[in-house]
Amino acid sequence: MKNTMKNIAALFLIFVFSGSMANAQGWTVPASAKKKQNPYEATSKNISSGKKIYNIQCKSCHGDPTMANMLPLAPVAPTDLGAQNFLVQSDGEIFYKVNKGQGAMPAFEKTISDEDKWMVIAFLRSFDKNKKVKQQVAEVKNPEVTDVKLELNVNEEDKTMLAKLSGLTDKGKRVGLQGIEMSFLVKRSFGYLDVSGEDPYTNETGDVQIQFPVDLPGDREGQVNMLVKVTDDAFYGKLEEARVVTLGVPTDPVNPLDERAMWGTRANAPIWIIVTFVGGVLAIWSVIFMVLFQMIKLPKLAKSKD
Amino acid sequence: MKEETSNHSRRKFLKSFGISVGAAGVVSSFSLIGAAKAAAKKPAEMVNLLTQDGQLVQVDKNQLRPTVTEPLDELQKRGREGIPGKSFVMVIDLSKCRNARKCMDACQNHHQLRQDQHHINVLQMQDAEHTAPYFMPKPCQHCDNPPCTKVCPVDATFKRQDGIVLIDNERCIGCRFCIAACPYSARIFQWTEPKDAEKYKDLTYNIEANVPQKKGTVSKCLFSADRLREDKLPSCVSACPNGVYYFGDQNEDAVTNGTTGETVRFSKLIEDNAGYTLMEELGTKPRVYYLPPKNRAFEFNGDLLNEENLH
Repeated sequence: MKNTMKNIAALFLIFVFSGSMANAQGWTVPASAKKKQNPYEATSKNISSGKKIYNIQCKSCHGDPTMANMLPLAPVAPTDLGAQNFLVQSDGEIFYKVNKGQGAMPAFEKTISDEDKWMVIAFLRSFDKNKKVKQQVAEVKNPEVTDVKLELNVNEEDKTMLAKLSGLTDKGKRVGLQGIEMSFLVKRSFGYLDVSGEDPYTNETGDVQIQFPVDLPGDREGQVNMLVKVTDDAFYGKLEEARVVTLGVPTDPVNPLDERAMWGTRANAPIWIIVTFVGGVLAIWSVIFMVLFQMIKLPKLAKSKD
Repeated sequence: MKEETSNHSRRKFLKSFGISVGAAGVVSSFSLIGAAKAAAKKPAEMVNLLTQDGQLVQVDKNQLRPTVTEPLDELQKRGREGIPGKSFVMVIDLSKCRNARKCMDACQNHHQLRQDQHHINVLQMQDAEHTAPYFMPKPCQHCDNPPCTKVCPVDATFKRQDGIVLIDNERCIGCRFCIAACPYSARIFQWTEPKDAEKYKDLTYNIEANVPQKKGTVSKCLFSADRLREDKLPSCVSACPNGVYYFGDQNEDAVTNGTTGETVRFSKLIEDNAGYTLMEELGTKPRVYYLPPKNRAFEFNGDLLNEENLH
C-alpha cells in the first residue's frame, strides 16, 4: 500500500514537473542565465543601434515590435517581441533564448556579437510599459525644435563627409541636435551599403563626420549615389538627402567578351584556333582534290605512253 | 499521226489557258492597286496609339504595318548581350543553411521545373569520415572559364558580358556535351515533355529564364537573369528564410543578403570568412563563392529529406 502511494506521488510529481515545462512554451532557461542583466544602458544611442540590428536580423521573421506582423509560420509562429507578455521575461531570459534558439528560431550565439544582442534587448525593452520611466532618465535631452534640417558637406580630397543636423527652437534660434544616429548609405545594385562607420552620432553642435572608404569602387568617373539620413524616423520624421558624390574609386568595368577565349562562341574564338581549323580543312580538301586530279590524269598518261 | 494531232491540241489548250490565266492575273492586280489607291485617298479611319515616350497619337489605319522585329528576336538579342557594366557574383554562407529548401521551390516555380529537376540543389556533404556533415546549396557556378561553352557545337550555350552563362534552347540540339563537360553537374536534360508544357505552349520563349522549357534540350541555373534586368535578386536568394545567400555586382564590390536585405562589401566578406570556390584546381574560376560551415547557426540534424528538418 505504501509503495503504491509512493508510486502515485512520484507519478504526480513527474506530471507537475512536465506540466511546468510545457507552460514555458517548452523552453526552459537555467536560473543562472535568467539572472543576467543588460550591461548596456537604455540610452537612445543604444536603442537606435539595437533597432538597426533588429531590422537586419530579427524583422524578417518577427516583424515590427507591437505590430504583430510576424511571419505566419506553422506550427509555432514567431512571437511579437514588443508584446507585453514577451517582455515580462528578464533580460537574461531573452538573451539566453536568442543565443540558443529552438525549433525554427536559429541560434545566434555565434552569428551576432553579445554587444549587438544586448542592444537589441535594449531596443525591445523600450516597448516595455513597466520599464519606460527608467529608460527616459538616461536619454540625451535635445530642446523641442521645429524645421529640422540636414545639411551635407563633402570633402572630395580626403574623402570625408560632414552632416549637420539642426533645428529651430521656439525662440527662433537654430541649434545643433545631439546624439542622433545618422546613416551614410551608398547605393549598390540590390541595396544600400552602410559606410557610417563605428560612431555615426551627432555631437553637441549637431555635426557628424565620417570617413568614406578609400577603396570603394564607383562608376567610370568615381561617382557614387549617396543617401544620408537620420537612422530612426521616430525622432524627427523621415529626414534624408540623396546626392551624387565623386568619392569612389573610378572603375572601368571589364567586359570578358572583349578578349578572345577558348570558352567564347564562334565570334570570340582565339585566332590560333580559327587559323588551325581553317588551315586543316583547306589542307585536307586540297589533298583530296590533288588525288582526284591525278586520277583524271591517269588515262591520259596511259594513252601518251601507248 | 493521230498522236501528233492530239499532242497539238493539248499544246494549244495549254497555250490558251496560260494566256487567259496571265490576263486574269494582270487584271486582278490592276484592280488591287486601284482598290489600294482608293483606300489611300479615302478619309480613312484613324487609330489612337501610344508612342514609346508616352504620347497619344492618331495614325491612319491604312498606314499600320505589323512590327518588324519579332519579340522573340528581341529577347534573344538582349539575352545574348547581357547587362553592360555588371559582373554578378553569389556568396553562399554554409554556416546558415539548414536545408529549408525554399530556394529550390522558388527556383522550380520560376523556371517551370518538376520536383525532381534542379537548377539549384541542397546537398548533404561530408568531406571525410570524421568531419562534420553540412548542407550545401549548389547552383550553376557561372564560371569565368566555363568548360561547358567550350564544347557546345552550335553556340547554344554562351557567356555574357555580365558573367552569366546561359543556354539558348532554340539553338540547343540536345547533344548533352555540356552536361558531360560540367564538373559541377549543374545542368539537367529535359528527357520528357516539361512540366505544364500544354499550359505554356503559347508563351514566347525567354532565353533569360529558359521558359517555357523545351523537351530534348539542356537547362540550368541562370542567376534569374530576367529578374536581374529589373534590379531584383534571383528567386532562390529572395526565397531563403535563413540568410544563406548574398548576391551582388563584383564591379561595385557589394553583395546583398536576400533575407535580411543587408548590403556588405564583397571582398571583406570573402576575406573575413575565408571564402572559397568549388574545385578551383580545375581552373574554371567560378562566380559562386562559399563561406565555410563554421560556427553554424543550426545544428546539423541528419537526414536530408526528413520532414522534421525542412524548416
